[in-house]
Parts: sequence; C-alpha cells; structure tokens
Amino acid sequence: MMMYFKFFKYLYFILFLFASCEKVITLPIEINDSKVIIEANITDQPGPYFVKLSKSISINEPNVYPIINNGIIIIADDKGVKDTLKHTTGGIYKTNRIRGVYGNTYSLEVKVEGKIYTAQSTMPMKVNLDSLRINTFPVNGENRYSIIPVYQDPAALGNSYRFIQKINDTLDGIYNIFNDNLNNGKINQRPLNNGTEKISIKLFDSVSVEMQCISQSAHLYFYTLNQQSGAGPGGGTAPSNPPNNINGGALGLFSAHSSQTKVIKILNK
Amino acid sequence: MNRKFIFLLFIGVLVISHQIKAQEITTVNGTVKDKLTGESIIGAVIKIDQLANVVVTSNEYGFYAISLSKGKYDLRISFVGYEEKRIPILLNASLITNVYLESKNQLSEVVVSSKRKDDNLTKAQIGTETLNMQSISKVPVIFGEKDVLKTIQLLPGVKSAGEGNSGFYVRGGAADQNLILLDEAPVYNASHLLGFFSTFNSDAIKDATLIKGNGPAQYGGRLSSVLDVKMKDGNNKNYTVNGGLGLISSRLSIEGPIQEDKSSFILSGRRTYADVFLKATDKFKDNILYFYDLNAKANYKIDDKNRIYFSGYFGQDELGLGSSFSINWGNKTGTIRWNRIVNSKLFLNTSFIYSDYSYNVGLKNGETNFNVNSNIKDINIKQDYTYYLNPKNTIRYGFNSILHTITPSIFSGTVNNNINKVGRNGLENALYFNNNFKANQQLTFDYGLRISAYSIMGGDQYNIYNDNVITKSILLQKNEFGKTYINAEPRFTSNYRINDLSSFKIAYARNVQHLHLLSNATAASPSDQWIGNSYNIKPELADQTSIGYARNFKDNSYELGAELYYKRMQNQLDYKDGTNINTVADVESSLLYGVGRAYGFEFLVKKKIGLFSGWISYTLSKTERKIAGINGGNWYNAKQDRTHDVSIVTILELNSKWTVSGVFVYSTGNAVTFPTGKYALGEQTIYQYANRNANRMPDYHRLDLSATYENKNKKKNAGSWNFSLYNVYGRENAYQISFQDDPSDNSKTQIIQTALFRWVPSITYNFKF
Repeated sequence: MMMYFKFFKYLYFILFLFASCEKVITLPIEINDSKVIIEANITDQPGPYFVKLSKSISINEPNVYPIINNGIIIIADDKGVKDTLKHTTGGIYKTNRIRGVYGNTYSLEVKVEGKIYTAQSTMPMKVNLDSLRINTFPVNGENRYSIIPVYQDPAALGNSYRFIQKINDTLDGIYNIFNDNLNNGKINQRPLNNGTEKISIKLFDSVSVEMQCISQSAHLYFYTLNQQSGAGPGGGTAPSNPPNNINGGALGLFSAHSSQTKVIKILNK
Repeated sequence: MNRKFIFLLFIGVLVISHQIKAQEITTVNGTVKDKLTGESIIGAVIKIDQLANVVVTSNEYGFYAISLSKGKYDLRISFVGYEEKRIPILLNASLITNVYLESKNQLSEVVVSSKRKDDNLTKAQIGTETLNMQSISKVPVIFGEKDVLKTIQLLPGVKSAGEGNSGFYVRGGAADQNLILLDEAPVYNASHLLGFFSTFNSDAIKDATLIKGNGPAQYGGRLSSVLDVKMKDGNNKNYTVNGGLGLISSRLSIEGPIQEDKSSFILSGRRTYADVFLKATDKFKDNILYFYDLNAKANYKIDDKNRIYFSGYFGQDELGLGSSFSINWGNKTGTIRWNRIVNSKLFLNTSFIYSDYSYNVGLKNGETNFNVNSNIKDINIKQDYTYYLNPKNTIRYGFNSILHTITPSIFSGTVNNNINKVGRNGLENALYFNNNFKANQQLTFDYGLRISAYSIMGGDQYNIYNDNVITKSILLQKNEFGKTYINAEPRFTSNYRINDLSSFKIAYARNVQHLHLLSNATAASPSDQWIGNSYNIKPELADQTSIGYARNFKDNSYELGAELYYKRMQNQLDYKDGTNINTVADVESSLLYGVGRAYGFEFLVKKKIGLFSGWISYTLSKTERKIAGINGGNWYNAKQDRTHDVSIVTILELNSKWTVSGVFVYSTGNAVTFPTGKYALGEQTIYQYANRNANRMPDYHRLDLSATYENKNKKKNAGSWNFSLYNVYGRENAYQISFQDDPSDNSKTQIIQTALFRWVPSITYNFKF
C-alpha cells in the first residue's frame, strides 16, 4: 500500500517538474534528550548474536554516535538458558551460548548507568523463501525491474515479514515491510520496492534479498519508520519515535527473527 | 431528555401549522429576479418606505413574503450591483409582486459584499460571508482559474490547507469538518488534481455562503463550517454561451430558456489538458493526469406556486502511469427540488438528494494486479418550511433524513482482504426549528434547535474495543438497527444595533458530526477513509461562542468587523502510529479519542465601493488537540495551528477596460514535528522526535498580481483577457522540509526544503456570446 503513497510523490514530482525547487537550509538547533539506543537481534542462524548499545545525539552533530561499553546485558530464553553477554568492541556485545529457536521467547535485560531496560521477543516460525522472481514493467518506454519474493504465507493470520534488499551489495535503504492483512495464506505476489531516486534496480544488476520473519512488534516498529519516510506532500503522518518493545525509555528494538538470503541477477527475458 | 426536546419541537411545529389556517392577514410575496437573465436573486433586501423597521431578504430561491395590514405601501428592493427599484402597492388582499432588478454597470461595486450597504449591521448573522461569483472574478488566483474555495481562504478565520490547495480549515477545525454543499448535496471531496483545483466550476455557480460555526438550525452535520454553494438557474430569456481558455484548463457553459420565462437550463463543463503536454514529451508520455467535470441544472415553473429544479454534478479525476498505476476518483451528485408556495406566508421546499463519492486505485505491475475501491453514498430527503409569520418573525422548520452507505477499502484482483469487507449503513435524521425575531429596530435574535440522530445499521459486524482490545462483537442483520445517538444542538445569535454606524453581535452554537474522516495525507487524497459513528466512535461535538463588533465608515463605503471566538471540541478522532488505515482488518481497533480547543480573534476591514476596493483580513488564533496516546496525552498544536494570518486584497479599476488587482498573504508556518536527534540502527540513520507539532515551518508569504482587460461597452460577444502572476517576487515558500544523510558527506544530516512554485504565470481568455 505504500506504493501508492510513493506514487503520489512521483506525481507531485511530475506536476512540479518545472516549478519545484529544493535547497539546503538550516533550522534553529533543538535541544535533544539523549537516549540509550539498544539494537538487539536473535536469529535462527548459528550464534553468536550481537547487541549494540549507543546513545542518540543532536541532529546538528556529525553522525558519530557515543558508544556504551560498560553495560550489563543478559539474554534468557523461556527454556531456562541465561546468557550474560560480553563486550567486544565499539559498544557491541556478543552472546556465548544462547541459541535462536523458532517459537522461543527471549528476554533481554540491559543495565546502563544505573537504569534497567527490558524487552521480550518471540521468534516466529520460519516461512521459507522459496525463490526470487523478476517483475518487469515498462514506464515511459523504459523497462523497470522489481523483485518478487516467492513464499507461501501460512494459513494462520499474523505473519509479518521484513525484506532487506541490496543492489550490487549496496543497501537500498527502503523498509519493505509486509504482513498478511491482505492475501493471508496465499503465495506472495507483491513485489519489493524497486529502489529510490538514489539507487534503483537496473539490467544486469545483482540483487540480494534477505527475508526476515519478524514479530508483530518489530513489524509495527519498521512499518512506522516506513510510513514516516514517506512524509511530505500527499502522504505521511506526523512523525514520532516508532513504538518499540523496550521498557524503560530506551529507543531501538529487540527482535528475534528468522533470516534467509537469496540472490538474483537481472537478465533480459 | 432528548426525547422531550423532540416532542416539544413537534408541538411547536403543530402550533405553527395551526396558526396558518386560523389567521387571515394580507401578505405581499413574490420572487426577485434579474431582469436580463431571469436568474433568481438570493438575499435581495426588501424595505417599506412607510415602515422603517421592516427589512426582509429574499431566500435561496429569490422568494420573499411580508405580512402587513391593509394599506398603501412603497416597496424598495435593492441588491448589490443592481439598480434599486421602488414599487408602489395597494394592499387590499394578499398580493403577488414579482420584482425584476436591472444590473448596474459593474464599475461601482465589485468586491465581496454584503447585500445592502449596511446589511452587516442589521443581520443577526455572525461569522458569515457571502461571495458572489461576479465579485470575485477579479481576484488573482493560481493558474488563472477563479475559484470560490481559494477566495474564501483570503477571509479571516479560514486557512489554506497548503500551497495552491483548495482544502481549507475554519477556526481550527479539520478539513473534514466543513460541510460543503452544492445545491444542497454534500460534496465529500471538493478537490481535483491533488487539491490544486476545486470541484466548483465558477461559470456554473451563482454564489457561495460560508458560515463559520454559528449557523442557523437548518444546517448541521459538520463541526466547523458550512459552505453553501448554489448553482446558477440558467438564463430564461436568451441563450448564452460562456467559456474560458486557459493554459492548463478550459471551460464552456451554455444556458438558455427551455420555455421563455418558464423554464431554463445551464450546462457547464471543464477539462484540464496538462496530460496533452506530457504526452508530447518522451520522458512522461505514459503519464495520465487530468480531470473533467460537468454541472447541469434545469428548472421548470409548473404554475405560479410550484417550481421544480433539477441539478446535477459529475466530476472525475484520472491519474495514472501507463497501464501500471491508476488512481481515479469522483463525485456525483443529483438534486431534485420542489419549491411550493403553500400560501402567501408559507414557503416549502422539498429536496431529494443523491450523492456518491468513490475512488479506485489500480495497480498492474507485471503479474500483480489489483484494485482498491472505496465509496460513500447518500440518499437524502429534506423538507424545509419558511413561515413568514409577521414582519417581526420568520420561522424555519423542517427535517432531513440521510441514509449513508460507506464502503471501506475493498481489494480485488491478486491482492484481497482476508475477510469480506462490506459497506456499512447509517441513518442520520435531523429535525429543526429556527426563528428570526426582530424585537425592535435595535435588537434581532435568531434562535433555534436542531435535534440530530444517527443510527448504526446492520449488514456488518461491529466490534467493541476497550483500550484497543475487543471486548464484544455485535452482528447486526441487514436493515437491523443498532445503537442510536441523539444530540440536541441549540443555536443562538443576537445582534444589537448600537447606532446607525455600529452593531454588536453575540452567538453560541453546538454542532454535531456523525461522519469522520481518517486521513494520512496532507492534501485531500483518495486514501482518505470516511467512517460513521459506531459503538466505539461517538458523534463529534463542538461548542462555539463568538462575539463580534461591526462598524461602517464614510457613508457605509468602509466596513469593519472584529470577532472573537472560542470553540471546544469533543470526541475527536485520530489513529495510532503505524496504522495502515486502508489494510487493517478493522480500523476501529487502532483509533484514539480526544478533545480539541480553538480560539482566536478575527479582523476584517473592507472597502466596498469605488474604483479602488478590497479588504484586509487578519486572524490571531490558537488550535490544539489532546488525544490519549499521542504526545504523552498532553495538549499539542494541531497541524493547522498558525498564530498570524494576514490577507490583503486590492482591486483597482483603471478605466473602463483595464482592472488590476493584487493579493498579498502572510502567515505563520504550520505546526510540524522536526527531529531533535538521531541514532543508527543497522546501517540506517533514524531520527529521534520529542513533542508533536512543537516546531514551525518557515513563515509563508506571497504576492500575486493580475490584470483583466474587458471591453465593457460591448454587451454582446464580449471577451476578456486575464493575465496573472502568482508569487510575484518568487518567494520559495517551504512546502516540505525533510532530513537526510548528506550525500556528499555521510557523517552529516542535511535539511532539504522543497518549494512548489516560484512564479506561476497564466493567461486566460474568457468569452461570452
């Protein structure tokens, strides 16, 4: 559905091709309340898994994020395994023995500067990414390409997916977030976004797609981010911090998900 | 309590009906019309030389009635832009006197105007402006297309929804809180082409009245305002053709008699052709981008007491990209009205109204192809009585029933909803009573009561949520009634004329709204979703109190008005972050509820007469919302909250051929949310936000100029040229401000401002023969 919001943006672009103008501006500096950022993932791949702790910075500062290297992090599953993570380098902590298993619920506890942050995430059952297909569509006499991830959505409602697309090893930066609110239980036919103004799929490109089966809280988080990236003329909601599953006021996300990657080369059919 | 109200109202109506039969007073009545075209004149002022305190205005159909004791009188009839007419009458028994006014050379009064020179001082209306299409034709607008929705945005208390946009906000209300009526039919999406054109073709329109929240009881259904647009009846004397050729759109109207003096018609069409230019380019040849609309109206005089009007509107927008994408939307409305002069004092209008707004999004992308359909349909019946009891009291009463059918986004093709979504029905009923009472020469009251009811109807399952968790499901069978909400809407306005030059006004009104718009876009967009009341969604309520002061200067050639208002809104709707209102199984699971408040000061000074005319309008205002689950449950600025709003409109008639005009607007930027900080997740930069709408877009200002050449000496085959330049000094007004990683230096955040238009020149040729 984001497609047609994106399409609106495109229409605006046409409408004002000869009229609209962009420029770089500066705005008054806002005071930012620096927050703890937790990025924690458990996947169905063999460990170790990593947790990154950092802090948010003011919008005007260069993108160098302060790291937190003195946090205490524990991840436990609902089968009695408890794992205290070890700091490696640059605010990145790694697990020792916990394993990512479908259906297990994982609890995260992070102690930083005297505060405790907690989160829970259940790893969904895996839905297999069977293949990738190329979807070709002509626009203004020029062929465009997008990728359709082929998978069979399970009959039960409530499956959520995230697709991370790399075009010739470069991340396209788009949140491709699907769920089964539409077409529940069917083979997917929805294509992924074919790129942005900066990077899009062209003939002979090599495209890799990582499919993640994510929890509903992760879906909400990424879907909100995606909606906000569409903000502007014709679309977009008032932005806010996306709702996450971390208690205690930290930003970021704890996500237990499956991960499967396939690669396809765009060839003329 | 509410039932009691209805009962009393019925009793009131009965008593009045009874009086009609019992009394026998001589009455003079008739219709006021334009002599040349036979077009009825709305709001003409009828005075009687012998009775200083009698002032009557003609109604929406040009009808008037005055009850008097037997005797000799002189009627004096006037209307802006027309020669005043005096008619002596001898009243022995009830008399029909139709009045034909002759239009003046338009040199003298050209501006948005009150009906009579000091009409602003005598009427009990507050926060009301009437725009006559003739009078706005010289005001410059974008693309050179005169547009009633864009002109009202230059009035105090009315704010534009965005650059060049026909959407508007009134006194802090949302865009869906304006009731837009076209010949009584509600128009659900009054915009074309992403909002850059309104659905109103100015050639087909007679006038438009905007009531900013303190309306009489015959209007209801929206919180903030009523914009009552009336189509022309059509010339019943001669055939005429009007048209205009512009750079991106053209229009053509034909009007004339069906039977001379008895019946007439008007047919008016419009189409844009930007797509023709796009087709000529290589890069954009697959783009589809146009709209068209058609207005039609006919009226037939059955006899002296009965007249029937048929009016219809059909408009469609087509946007698309080859065969891969398409977005179409359109409104259809149809109205049949029957005017009946029941007796010399009682005027009855019965209307049957049909209204249909639908949108369709189609996507064909390789093997994926689907359609999303959404639709809102109304069948509406209205009966409105005007009873001219005596020169002091004019009573209006009647009822209105609307059957709504609202169909949410339904997918078809290769993408489908998981559960079958069906349309929901709702029945909206209203009963009203309003009296205009002229207590004496100084004091006028307009008071009334509207009882509105909304019944949830069957055919669908309704879920009841508590904190967004289902607690109960109710399945209503087709045609089965569920919950009914009943609300009383008291209305009161009073005008006290302090002296010949000034008056003081005070008003209170409650408005109730039963249909709600969920929108995730800034401009009116096909993804907008209407929803009726349900077990969770309660009717929206607004209570508005306003006071005003009006004063005229220099023999009524200058008019000054100042108004203060305070509005409190309840049961306001929003939805949770991350909700896709189009695909979620039941959107009610994601709704949030809260309250709103808006207050402000409005100031307007107009020069109405002379070669140089125009107005200055200023608004100082505040608009806030408080919704549990948004902004930590604290008050926050609504998007349309702008502290200052200034419009200056000037029109100068240089000579009999050239008119030049200018518009200057200034406003505080919209309330928006900018990120305060940022962090990284994966390889992506994510922005951190603090309070909602705590930031401001840069101030908005702009100057437009226009020149019109028209040979007024030629009555027939007159052509006119309009040259206009939008945004004369090329101000880059911010339309969007976005944040991104600097492409040349990934370690920095870049802030990009997008402006839509710098200069937009346009030329339009208008013709008439």
